[in-house]
Amino acid sequence: MAAAAKQAQQLARQLFKLSVVDNVISTDRVAGVLAYVEKHAPANAVLVLKAYHRLIAVELAKSEARVEHAGTVAPAALAAIAAAMSKKYSRPITTTARAHPALLAGLRVRVGDDVYESSVSGQLAALALSV
Amino acid sequence: MSTVLDQIEQQIAKLSTKAVKKNTGNIRTIADGVAKIDGLSDVMYNEMVAFPGGAIGIALNLEETEVGCVILGDVSKLKEGDEVTTTGKLLSVPVGKALLGRVVDALGNAVDGKGPIDAKETYPVERIAPGIMARKSVNQPLFTGIMAIDSMIPIGRGQRELIIGDRGTGKTTIAIDTIINQAKINKVGLASGDAKFRPVYSIYVAIGQKSSNIVRTVAALEAAGALEYTIIVAATAADNPANQYIAPYSGAAMGEWFMENGMDALIVYDDLSKHAVAYRQISLILKRPSGREAYPGDVFYLHSRLLERAARLDGKGSLTALPIIETLAGDVSAYIPTNVISITDGQIFLETDLFNQGIRPAVSVGLSVSRVGSSAQIKATKQVGGKLKGELAQFRELAAFAQFGSDLDAKTKAQLERGARIVELFKQPAFSPAAIELQVSILFAMQKGFFDPIDAKKVVAAAANMKNFFTTRKDALLTEIRNKAALDKDLEAKLQAACDEWKSGYTA
Repeated sequence: MAAAAKQAQQLARQLFKLSVVDNVISTDRVAGVLAYVEKHAPANAVLVLKAYHRLIAVELAKSEARVEHAGTVAPAALAAIAAAMSKKYSRPITTTARAHPALLAGLRVRVGDDVYESSVSGQLAALALSV
Repeated sequence: MSTVLDQIEQQIAKLSTKAVKKNTGNIRTIADGVAKIDGLSDVMYNEMVAFPGGAIGIALNLEETEVGCVILGDVSKLKEGDEVTTTGKLLSVPVGKALLGRVVDALGNAVDGKGPIDAKETYPVERIAPGIMARKSVNQPLFTGIMAIDSMIPIGRGQRELIIGDRGTGKTTIAIDTIINQAKINKVGLASGDAKFRPVYSIYVAIGQKSSNIVRTVAALEAAGALEYTIIVAATAADNPANQYIAPYSGAAMGEWFMENGMDALIVYDDLSKHAVAYRQISLILKRPSGREAYPGDVFYLHSRLLERAARLDGKGSLTALPIIETLAGDVSAYIPTNVISITDGQIFLETDLFNQGIRPAVSVGLSVSRVGSSAQIKATKQVGGKLKGELAQFRELAAFAQFGSDLDAKTKAQLERGARIVELFKQPAFSPAAIELQVSILFAMQKGFFDPIDAKKVVAAAANMKNFFTTRKDALLTEIRNKAALDKDLEAKLQAACDEWKSGYTA
């Protein structure tokens, strides 16, 4: 089982490399990879596709800044965040906004595994830890 | 009321309003104190990670798709999907004299109900052991107060001496006796006002023991007045394996503080067999490849990196380690015992047979050794006990040979008689270590044949009587021996006279 998972991971990594063009996931390439997998059905196809999905999801998350906000956020602010993050990570980053009232006020921006906390709830949590 | 609100507002204002960057991940699976985490792409090896609810973990497995963490603290409220953040820090524990007299957990938090610990400094739990150039050779004695050990298997400050034996052979008792003896020496030394006197502070690390045993140990130390010089690090059998795994390293960090600050410390790891078992449990859950007896491949490094931290540093202090290993049916050739034997600078081997025969401490003289040897002994002990190990070995050989027949020459009989008396003389009750000057006096009496006319079975009582005689009536002589640390002609004459006086007043 462990050997099968390792093989699936290796194949998924190869497929992932084929799906990237200029450090960006190519929709056409992903479609091509999926068509190839469907046609040739490698051993443990489910494991391969799950691992491939994970790699693609992680990569896509790195190109997307998910902005959680309490109250309204201006389109200009989102554009500024996108520009700042693109510069910081040296890759084109898009933004998606989602209302999150539990933040009380402010923003929380997530790019991949990195979280930029600038909300009142985050500061209160930090305060609670420091007391 | 408004003052309180003002304080809170000021505190909020103090906090930076800038965005704080955190590297995060999510718990994928969690079991037996080990979590597999998705994300945490920036995490470093051995870095502390923060779990919800205040629990902390250590990143031990950095894999392509996940990070394996051991969790220290309460895991009952953690669940799949919970967010985990990196801290950018290595695990550290409080260190310093504020910990003396306290019982703490593997993270240095007080568990004795005596309130928080006011420690000014913290030390990282994992630290690289001192290098060759920083070290100094071990040549200062660390008295255990146990005659059989101090005279035949001497321990030096900065040494690693293994205490090994089956369960119930008195391993912990030897360690506790040693701690009690340090406290006694500290009290005498500090009261004397000697500027050169260096006290020894003790750290007792209990790994995987029953809480009731730890309570008993604390009570024994308290009763002997040794707790004030001792830190107890407790990772009980009820704690998760991660806490048991980290506890000895936490204790070592606390000991290193004393060493780095020019003081001497003694650390007891009770015991490393259970430590290895806790590490095996963690490793198996982390799916690390297992080897002999299902231990992971780095189980040697687990103990070598811990014990190498014991040292005597040039221009600084020392850290002496007494690791304990429990054997099964006296099998010293098992995996963990052989590992630790090869790491340490000698071992005190305790035998079940000796223990059952009433020879306590049940030290097997033949199998026990101290690789530091007589360089960690004072001259007085060498003068009176230098040949003891040889005499005892000869006695054992002759005793085995004498079983085959009864026709023995006078010389052989005398050697057997003497050997039997030495064995009796080394019997010592638990938690009553003897001061080195008293040991020297008793061994002097032994060497001069004062115990020869006494029936072997009555030697223990005679020795106890003699100890009482010396402590109550010859205090000045004992102080002189302690201060001179060597027997000159004058001292020998005084000792001879004192022994004669004892003999004249003693009736068996």
